[in-house]
Amino acid sequence: MSEVECAVGPAERTPVPAARSMRRYNAAVARKHAHGGVTALLSDVYYSVVIVGIAVLMAIGALGQLPVHEPPVGTSHATSLAGLTAVAYLALAGALIGSAGRLGPVGAGGAEATWWLPLPVDRRGLLRPNALRMVALGGVASAVVATVLAFAVPGGTSPGRSVAGVAVAGVAAVVVAGLLQVWTAARVAVRLGDLLLAAAPVAAAAAVLGSWQPESVLAVPWWGIGLLGAVAVGGAFALDALLGRIPARRLRESGAVAAQATGALVSLDTRELGRALGDRLARQQRRRSLRMRLVGGPVRALVVADALVLARSPRHLGQILVTALVPALVLATPDLTGSVQLALAFLVAGSFAMLATGEASRRAEMSPGVDRLLPMGATATRRARLIVPGVVMTLWTLVALGSVGLWRADPLPWLALAVLAGPAWAGGALRSAFRPAPKWDSALVSTPAGAVPLGAAAVLARGPDVVVLGLLPATIAVLAGSVPQTLLLVQAVATAVALRWGSSTETRTLMDRLAEAQEAAGEARK
Amino acid sequence: MSRARPPAVLRVSKLSVGWTGRPVCGQASFTLPAGRSLALVGPNGSGKSTLLRAILGLLEPLSGSVQLLGVEVDERRASFRAQVSAVLDDDAWFPALTVAEHLYLVARGHGVGDAQDEVDALLDEFGLTGHADVLPTALSSGQRRRLLLAAGLVRPRSLLVLDEPEQRLDTATRQLLAERLNAEKEAGGAVLVATHDPDLLAAVADRAVIVGDETRLVSTAEAVDALRPGVL
Repeated sequence: MSEVECAVGPAERTPVPAARSMRRYNAAVARKHAHGGVTALLSDVYYSVVIVGIAVLMAIGALGQLPVHEPPVGTSHATSLAGLTAVAYLALAGALIGSAGRLGPVGAGGAEATWWLPLPVDRRGLLRPNALRMVALGGVASAVVATVLAFAVPGGTSPGRSVAGVAVAGVAAVVVAGLLQVWTAARVAVRLGDLLLAAAPVAAAAAVLGSWQPESVLAVPWWGIGLLGAVAVGGAFALDALLGRIPARRLRESGAVAAQATGALVSLDTRELGRALGDRLARQQRRRSLRMRLVGGPVRALVVADALVLARSPRHLGQILVTALVPALVLATPDLTGSVQLALAFLVAGSFAMLATGEASRRAEMSPGVDRLLPMGATATRRARLIVPGVVMTLWTLVALGSVGLWRADPLPWLALAVLAGPAWAGGALRSAFRPAPKWDSALVSTPAGAVPLGAAAVLARGPDVVVLGLLPATIAVLAGSVPQTLLLVQAVATAVALRWGSSTETRTLMDRLAEAQEAAGEARK
Repeated sequence: MSRARPPAVLRVSKLSVGWTGRPVCGQASFTLPAGRSLALVGPNGSGKSTLLRAILGLLEPLSGSVQLLGVEVDERRASFRAQVSAVLDDDAWFPALTVAEHLYLVARGHGVGDAQDEVDALLDEFGLTGHADVLPTALSSGQRRRLLLAAGLVRPRSLLVLDEPEQRLDTATRQLLAERLNAEKEAGGAVLVATHDPDLLAAVADRAVIVGDETRLVSTAEAVDALRPGVL
């Protein structure tokens, strides 16, 4: 940049430095103050690669071991595993573009926004490493998913070609999101991503109803991958050339979201992660406010408030709807149908739906001020918050277990089981929403993934633990393929325990309570 | 014989700002010549900071225009960033950079020839010399505010924009700030400042804009009166 004449300030001027030298200045100073060196960095990279590699190998091995059963009754509509994998790739593309749009993909948050963006240096040079990192991340994440699917799905395209093709497509997806950020707004990329995600279940239903049964996945020739790669590289160069056109306000917004999301990941706080990725796009204003005529007393006030939070969050409603179809989809894929797969699909899809129903509770945990305004005790408040998740998850379970019942040609016992098991999810939703943050000031445990505080795993298990206990009878029924009457009784008891446990206001862990009891006994002996 | 008017550094015409398409205050129109200062006053939430952000190109205006030295504002242009120094209410710091290193970053990024002399002088002026080698997070909130002000002054500029600079400052530093802003005007710089402090307003501003439902340009004396309790 040629030197600009300014009215005030130091008289002695030199040319404005290159962006690269500003980045190097920061990096050099950071290195000077850092405790770890290149060895520590290499060690971190090595451990990360090893962890991802082990996780991928375990996933491939586990998927390969899953038993496959013939359906007990003939089904006229079905899709193949390869067909389902194609749908999974569609969902992956949607997730990538949507996430990239939510995170920018290019951004500058915190100190970078305050100290770098106002500099008159070439902004493109400042943003390039960030953009490159996001594009590479898209490629690596896609490659990891493709590796698992390529080895788990037998036959068809060679694994190498699948992985290469999907990785290149992942890079292209992030580049598309970046170009949309430059030309329009991140919101467009988010909508495109969400649209693709929403299209995935529709495509899955179409594949089942149309009996689409391809034998291989994405049988794209090498030249096709090369062509896609060339387009992705061309797009990446175009994005690089246009980085300087992104306004600071968009960079600041994206940077703030990325910083919040990174903080949530590092502190193992999935609730904060959801808020980071969702709040930015939430509508800040409504056309009109409801008069709340249904509210007559504190319990109804809470129920109406919880229902409104859910009804005004299309993302969560979609999450509940789509996950309800997952068990049916597993049943409609003969290559995948097996009791273990079905049980896994039921528990995993149910957990995602459960998280969507717990949104209001998660917000109440973050800012409990509104709850405190109501004339109710803590336990009564917590129990009132069970109602909306309980009702919604009962409907969800009716769909999920109903499809199992239809597949087993004996729907009535399965529907009865669903009515008894559905509310148990609400216990999990609440326990998960109100779990305390890990105690970062306690002793740290060294793990290959870095130091984590003692008890972090116990904190993360709050919620899933209630699901495992409360849904154990239903899961056993899915695994066994039948619903004995005794099991219905056991399920009713398990649901009652799950509801009681999930609505408990106790925040101490069992270990904490034992330690405190021991301490109190010691004091008494003195 | 009519006196020659100094050229306008900043020209704001029928500027409307707000969120989700709704204006937060009335349209603003004013010009700010070189060597003058203009204050924005108004109660909390009246739209002063939103107006400043739109003027700096950090927020898309709903309507109207903002020109810096005759050119439409576009913060993506390096020449705009070279001319405008803004001290907003940011409180973000590079975790590994010390107080002095933050100032060096700004000075060198703007091509200041003798960065060390400039940084040393400002550290001394704002009472931060003893804290030059500590991280900003170890400073008090008032000291961090002083560091932000020093960062705004360590670089060349034609327009200095400050958002409530008096916040968290002690009386002596407020006085120093007023002197500094008057020196800025004497050197030919233009100053745009949003403030709640009647003393700073009276000491520095040549005119003022009362921001509200009807945003209007007033004399400094009228703005000082407006800052009295119960008026705005």
